[in-house]
Amino acid sequence: MTLHWKRNNVVAVAAVALGVLYLVNANRGVAPYSAKNIGTVLVVGAALGGIYAITAGGLVMTYATTGVFNFAHASIGAFLAFLYWELRVNHGWPTLLALVVVLVVVAPLLGVVLDVLLMRRLRDAPLVVQLMVTVGLMLAFMGITTTIWKPITPRATPAFFAGSSGVHIGDVIATWHRIITVALAAAIALVLRAFLYRTRLGISMRAVVDNRNLAALTGARPNVVSSAAWALGCSTAGLAGILIAPETGMVVDTLTLIIVIAFAAAAIGQLRSIPMAFVGGMVIGLAKAFTGVFLAFGKDWNYAPDAIPAVILFVAVLFLPNARLETGTVRLTKRTERLTTPAEALGGAAAMVAIVAAWANGWIPWFSGTHFGQRTDIWLGRGAGFLVVGLIMLSLVPLIGWAGQVSFANFAIAGIGALLYSHLGGQHGEPYGIVLVMLVCAPLGALIALPALRLKGLYLALGTMAFAEFTDKVIVRHPKMLDPSATGVLFEPLKLFGFRMSSDPDDRKAFVIFLALAFAVLFLLLELLRRSRWARRWIAMSDSPAASATIGVNLITTKVAVWALSGALAGFAGCMLGLSSGSFRVDSFPLFAGLPLVLLLAVQGVRYPVAAFMGAVGLMTFPALYEALGRPSYLTSVELIGPGIAAIGMAVRPEGAVFYAGRDLAGFLPWRRDAREDKELRIARARAEDITKDEINDLGIARPFTVEHAAQLDRALDIADAMLERPGQHVEEPTVDEWVARDAAPVG
Amino acid sequence: MPLLSADEIVVRFGGVAALQAASVAVDPGRVTGLIGPNGAGKTTLFNVVTGLQEPTSGRVVFDGVDITHRSPFRRARMGIARTFQKLEAFSSLSARDNVLVAAEQRTAWDRSGFDTAAVVDELLERVGIADVANFMVGTLPTGTARRVELARALATQPKVLLLDEPSSGLNEEETESMAALLRDLVADGLAVLLVEHDMPFVMGTCEHIHVLDFGRVIATGSPADIQGNAAVQAAYLGSAVRA
Repeated sequence: MTLHWKRNNVVAVAAVALGVLYLVNANRGVAPYSAKNIGTVLVVGAALGGIYAITAGGLVMTYATTGVFNFAHASIGAFLAFLYWELRVNHGWPTLLALVVVLVVVAPLLGVVLDVLLMRRLRDAPLVVQLMVTVGLMLAFMGITTTIWKPITPRATPAFFAGSSGVHIGDVIATWHRIITVALAAAIALVLRAFLYRTRLGISMRAVVDNRNLAALTGARPNVVSSAAWALGCSTAGLAGILIAPETGMVVDTLTLIIVIAFAAAAIGQLRSIPMAFVGGMVIGLAKAFTGVFLAFGKDWNYAPDAIPAVILFVAVLFLPNARLETGTVRLTKRTERLTTPAEALGGAAAMVAIVAAWANGWIPWFSGTHFGQRTDIWLGRGAGFLVVGLIMLSLVPLIGWAGQVSFANFAIAGIGALLYSHLGGQHGEPYGIVLVMLVCAPLGALIALPALRLKGLYLALGTMAFAEFTDKVIVRHPKMLDPSATGVLFEPLKLFGFRMSSDPDDRKAFVIFLALAFAVLFLLLELLRRSRWARRWIAMSDSPAASATIGVNLITTKVAVWALSGALAGFAGCMLGLSSGSFRVDSFPLFAGLPLVLLLAVQGVRYPVAAFMGAVGLMTFPALYEALGRPSYLTSVELIGPGIAAIGMAVRPEGAVFYAGRDLAGFLPWRRDAREDKELRIARARAEDITKDEINDLGIARPFTVEHAAQLDRALDIADAMLERPGQHVEEPTVDEWVARDAAPVG
Repeated sequence: MPLLSADEIVVRFGGVAALQAASVAVDPGRVTGLIGPNGAGKTTLFNVVTGLQEPTSGRVVFDGVDITHRSPFRRARMGIARTFQKLEAFSSLSARDNVLVAAEQRTAWDRSGFDTAAVVDELLERVGIADVANFMVGTLPTGTARRVELARALATQPKVLLLDEPSSGLNEEETESMAALLRDLVADGLAVLLVEHDMPFVMGTCEHIHVLDFGRVIATGSPADIQGNAAVQAAYLGSAVRA
C-alpha cells in the first residue's frame, strides 16, 4: 500500500515536524549533542526499536494472514519470556537449549493450540467479538503469568553474551545483545516479508485472508495456513519478549504494554506492511532513546516519554486514508430479539433497587471475614465500588452494544471525571459539579474518537486503548489534575435530600442505595432510548454503514453523538467513582484496570442495559469467591484470569449470557408464548442443519464443503428460503414437524 | 437533460480497470436497464453513483448538479436511493424498523411534517411485507429481505432509485409483483435504474437499456434494439466478435 502524497499530507507532515521541533526545543535537557550521546541514542534506540519491530512484525503478520488482530500478542510474549527465565535461570539450562525449547517447541505449539481452540472461530466473527476474545486472552495470559511467577520474587533475565563487553564504536559500547537484537529484527522483517510474498505457503496465507472459500477451492488449506500463522506469530512474540526482558526488567505489565507500542508501529504500516511496521518500530525506539538522553521534561510532565507510542499512534491514524464503505460484509444473524417491555424494565429496576437496599441494610446474609453472616462495612464499600463499575459499564452499552463502536477508554474517562469532580464542586459536596463534569466528559468522549471515526473500527479500538494509556501516564499524573502530595479525602460528601453520600462508613448505606437508584434511573433512560430513533439509527449504522449512508445518515455526526453520550455517562460514573473511593493515587487508573469491565459487560451481553448490572455482580463474585474459599493465594490473579477466561468463552457464545439466558429461560414464564414458539423453530432449524450435514457426509464431500456452503447453494437454488419461511408468510406453511419429516424423507 | 447521468466514469483497482469510460443516463418516469455479464462493472457503477466508490475520473451529475465528490449521505438527501446486490439490510432490526430508520432520516431534510408511521405502514403494505413487519430481518428469507431493502430505499422518497438485482431470491410470482410495483413507481414519476440478470423481467419493465461489458457500455437502446444487437450477443454468449 502506498501513501498518496497529496497537498494535505505535506501540510500535515510539516505541522507534525514543527510540533516535534517545538517540543524538543522547549524541553531540551543539559546533555550536549556530542558524538558519544548521539551514538548512545542510536545504539539504545536501534536495539529498542528492533524489539518493537519484531513485536509489530509478528502482529502484522498474523493480522494480514488470519484477519484476527491479536491484542494478546505481547502478553503471550511476556509469558514465553518468563518461561525462558524459568528454564535458563531457574533450572540453569544452556541458553541455546532454553531458546530452542521456548521458541521452536513451546511457542509454535501454543500458537497451534490457540488457533484450533479459538482463533479459527473468530475469522468470521464481528469485530467486537474478535476484540473481546483477544483482549480476554491478553488478561488471561497476564493472570497466568503472575500466578505461576509471583511478582514478589525479583527476577532478571541475562542478556545474550552478558560476559562480553561488546563492540566499541568510537566512545560508544554496543553490547552483543543489542547488536543481535538489531540484526534479528532486520532479518525477521525481511524473512517475514519474503515468506509472505515469495513462498507458496505465504502467498496462500494472504490469499486465504482475502477470500477463504475461493482460496480453499484453488487448493490452499485455510486451517493449515492459519495454524502456521499463529505458530509463527507466537514464536516472534516470544523472541521479542526474551530480547526485551533484560532491557526493561521482568515485569508482566511492562512486557504486556509493549502491545501499545506495537500498535503504533503497526499503524504506521497500515496494519498490513511488515517493512513499514519495522520502520515504525525503529522510529519509536529511536524517539524513546532520544527523549531519554537529550530531553528533560519538567516535573509536571515526568511521564511524558511513556506516552510517545500513544502519540505516534494518534499521529499515524491522522495520515491514514479514509476507509471505504464496504458492502457485502453484512452477516445475516439468525438471532431473534425481543425488546424489553416498559413494564418489565420498570419491574426489574424496582426489584434491583429493592434487593440492593435490603442488602445494604444487612437483611440479606453475606460474608464477614471468611464466614457467612453479617455484612460488614468493608463489603458495603465494595458494593458501592461495584455499582460504580456497573455505571461505567452502562456507559458502554449504547456505544459498543448499539453503535458497534469499541471503546477501552471509558474507565480512563471516568478517572478523568473523578479528578475533575474533585476540583469542580466535589470538595463542597455540590451536586452541580456532577453536571459540569458530564458537560466536560461528553466532548472528551467525542474528541477521543474523532481522529479514528473515518477509519475502520479496529483503529478506533486501538486509539481508545492508546488514550487509556495516555491518561494513565500523562493526564492523571499532572499535579494540576492530581496533586501527589494530597493524601487525604479529595471529596466532601455529596448532600442530596438530607442524605450524605461518600466513602465514609457512616455515609455508605445511603450512598449504596443512592447508587442503586441512579443506576435504575439511567437503566430506564437507556431502555427508553433503545426504543427511540437515535438507538435505531445507531444499530442501523452498526449493521451496515454503507446502507445507512445511502439512506442519508451522516455517519460522522451519528458516531460523535453516541461517543458524547457515552462520555457523559462515563463522566457521571466518574463522579461516583470519586465519591466511593475518596482519594486516588497517581497509579489508580492503569489501562489494565479498565479492560476487565469491558470484557465482563461483553460476556453478559453488550446490547442489553441489564447486562451492566449483571457484569458488576459478576465482578463482585471474584472477591466474594476469594473470601468464601478462605483467601487462597492461587486466587490472587483471579481478577485478571476470570474476566479473561470468561471473555474467551465469547468465541463460542458471542451474544452474551443475558441473551442466552433470556432466550432459554423466558419460555418458562407463562406469558412468554413467543419464546416457546421461537425455541421450537430453533430446534427445527438445528435438526434441518443436522440433516444437511448428514446429506453432505452421505455424498462423501469432504473439506471445504460445509453446512454454510450447502445453505448458500440452497439459497442460490431458492430451496432454503422456502424451507425456512416464518409463520404468517405468503408461501403455504407446513408445520415444523411436517417439513422436518418432508426433508428427512429423501435421506432415509 | 437526463435526471441522473454518469459521464465517462473510470474506476481502477490497482491495475484492473473495473469501469473504462462508461456513461449512463437515467430519465424520470421510466425504468432504465443496466445489463451485462458478471464482472462487467454494474455494481461498481452503482457504487460510483451513490458515492461508495470514488471514480478515478469522470463526472456524476444529478438534477443539474455535479455530485462526483459529494459524500453518500448528501446524495441520499438529494434524492438518490438504492438497494444492494449482496444484502445490506439492518439485520438486527425488525423489518418495520428498517423502513422506519429511513423514514425518520428523511425528516432531516424533508420538512413537510409527514407522518413517519403512516409512511412506513403504507410502504410495508406496498412491497408486501406487512405480515412480517415485526420479525428481525436477519431471520427472514433473502427474497423477503430484498423487499425490506426496497421499502427502506423508497422511504427516503427518492427521485431516482437504483435497484441491484431485485429479483434474485424471488420466485416467479414474486418477480411478477415486483415488476408491477416498478411500473407503478415509474408511473408516479420516479426514475429507476435496474441491474438485473432475469432477461424476461428486464425486457418486460425497461424502456431503455444500457449494456455493460468489461467496464464499457457496448450498446444502448430499446429492448428490441438490444435483443438484436450482435455485440451484446457476443458479450453474453462469448464469441470472437468483441465490440
